[in-house]
Amino acid sequence: MSALIECYPGQSLFHRLDPRAKIVFLLLFTTVIFIIQHIYLVVAVLLIVIALWGIARLPLRSLGGYFKMLSGILVFLFVVQATLYPGKVILIGPIIPSSVPLIGGKGNITEEGILFGFFITARLLTMILILPLVSMTTPIDRLTLGLVRLGLPYQLAYITTTALNQVAVLKAEAGVIMDAQRLRAFSTFEKGNPVAKMKAYPLLVTPLVIGAMHRAQLVAIAMESRGFGAKGERVYIEDIAMKPSDWVFIALSVLCCLAVLLANFLS
Amino acid sequence: MNTKEPYIIISNMSYRYSDAKHYALEELNFTIDKGEFVVILGEHLAGKSTFCQILNGVIPNFKGGEMKGSVIVGGLNTQEVSVAEMAQKVGMVLQDPAVQLFTTKVINEVAFGPENLCLNVDEILERVRWALQVVGLAGFEERSPTSLSGGQQQRLVIAAALAMWPEVLVLDEPTSQLDPIGTIEIFSLVQELNKKYNMTIVIATHASEEAAQFADRILILHQHRLIAQGAPQEIYQNTKLLEQVNIPSPQVSRLATYLEERSLRFPEFPITIEQARKGIEQLVRRSENCGLQPSKRRA
Repeated sequence: MSALIECYPGQSLFHRLDPRAKIVFLLLFTTVIFIIQHIYLVVAVLLIVIALWGIARLPLRSLGGYFKMLSGILVFLFVVQATLYPGKVILIGPIIPSSVPLIGGKGNITEEGILFGFFITARLLTMILILPLVSMTTPIDRLTLGLVRLGLPYQLAYITTTALNQVAVLKAEAGVIMDAQRLRAFSTFEKGNPVAKMKAYPLLVTPLVIGAMHRAQLVAIAMESRGFGAKGERVYIEDIAMKPSDWVFIALSVLCCLAVLLANFLS
Repeated sequence: MNTKEPYIIISNMSYRYSDAKHYALEELNFTIDKGEFVVILGEHLAGKSTFCQILNGVIPNFKGGEMKGSVIVGGLNTQEVSVAEMAQKVGMVLQDPAVQLFTTKVINEVAFGPENLCLNVDEILERVRWALQVVGLAGFEERSPTSLSGGQQQRLVIAAALAMWPEVLVLDEPTSQLDPIGTIEIFSLVQELNKKYNMTIVIATHASEEAAQFADRILILHQHRLIAQGAPQEIYQNTKLLEQVNIPSPQVSRLATYLEERSLRFPEFPITIEQARKGIEQLVRRSENCGLQPSKRRA
C-alpha cells in the first residue's frame, strides 16, 4: 500500500504541475465520482483517470499488491450487488431453491444487479486511482505547501501530510512484525484459512498500534523541539507559483467535470 | 573553554508523569556551566531521557505530569515559556534518527526549525549552509534523508538542531543505534561544537569509553536520583559505586583496578587508552630503574 502514497520522482506533465492544481483536481474528480449515477459516465471518468496515469508515467506495477488486497473486496461487492439488487430482468433464477424455508427463492441474478455491481466496482476503482495521481507525483513537502497556500492552517496541513507519510512507515513496521513472527514459525498469514487469519490479526495489529503511538509521540517531540507551533506566520524556503499550464489544467478539470455532471443530469 | 558561568540551574526538581505512582526524577539540585561537556550515565529507566526532555521544556509543557522545583536554562524558566521558545536555547537530538527526519530533502530538514521561527529566507539559508558545513554534510542539500547512513542521519539531526542556534545541545542516547564508526563520528562532532563554539553539551549515553574521553563532568542517575557527580577520573575510580549501579568502566580503568588489587599501582588512574599507555610506560621505566630488565623479545 505504501507504493500508492510514495512519491515517484519524474519529469512528466503531472509532476511539474503546481500542487494546488493537483489538489483542486483531486477534490473535483472525487466529488464528481460520488455524484454521477450512470455506469457509462463512471467508466468514462475511469478511462480519463487511467489516461492520466499514462501521462504521469507512473509505474502500474505499484498497483499490483494493492489490487491483490482489494480484489477480494471488489469481487465481494460485485457478487453482493449482482445477487441482492432488486431488479426485474432475471438472467439466472434464484440461487437459493424455493424449497428452503424463509430465504427460499432469493438471490436472483438480474441484469440491473449486474450493472449496479459493475457501477459500484468501477466507482471504487476510480476513487482508488485518483489519489495516487497526486500523492505519487508530489513530494510531501510541496504537498504541505500546496495545502497551506490553499488556506489550510499550517498545523492541519502538516498533520494531513504526515499522516499520509506514516502509512508507508506503518507498512514497513507491519513487515518487520510479520518477519519476526515468521522467524518463530508463525505462518497463519501465508497459509492459514480466512478464519484463522482473522483470529491472528490482533497479534499483528496490537504491536503495530502500540509502536505507531510511541513513534507518533517521538515525532511530536522532535517537531516541538524544533519550534513547531511557534507564534507568527511560518516562513518557507521553497515557494510555489501557479504557471499558465496550471491554470489550463484546472480549467480542463473543471470543464471535464461540468461535462460529466451535465451528461449525468440530462440522461 | 569552560567559562564557569552557570547556564542551567536545577533547584529541588522532582517530576512525576501523569498517572504514574512514583517520581521519574527526584530532588535534583545542580548546575551546568556554560561551555561544559556533561555526560549522564545510568541504567535503563534511571530517568536519563526524562532529564533530557526537562531541559528543553518538552516536560512538563508537552507531556504534562507534575513538576516540583524549577529548571532555569539561559535565564528562562522552562515551565513558563513555550517549547518553541526554549528550542532557541536548547537543541535536542533523540535516539532514533528515523523518527526525527520528516521531510524529503536534507535542506528542508535543516530549514524546518528556522522556518518555524519565522526568520527571513536569506537568514534561514545562511543558517542551513552553516549547520550543514559544521556537521560535514555540505553538498548533501538535495539528497533524501532516508538515503543517508545512520551516522550521517544522526549528523543531519544535529545540523537541524544547530540551525536553531542553540546555546545547549542535549543528546539522548544519540549513538545507541549506530555502529562504532558512527559513534565516533557523533562524539567527535559534539566535541568540536563544544571546543570551537563553546556550546554546552549534555549527553545521556551508555558509551562509557567515549564519556571518559570527552566529558568534563559525569552525572550518575540511579533509581531516579542523582547519586554521584564529578570528573570522569574521579567517577571511574570509584569502582564500588559503578558496580553497584551497573555502569561499566572503560576497559583500561578495569585493567588498572585489576593491577591495583595485585599491588601494581598506576601513577595516575587511567580512563583513556592514551593515559593507560603513558602509565604503563612510566611503570616500565620505574621497574628498569629498580634494576629489573624487561625480558628480551624473541627475534
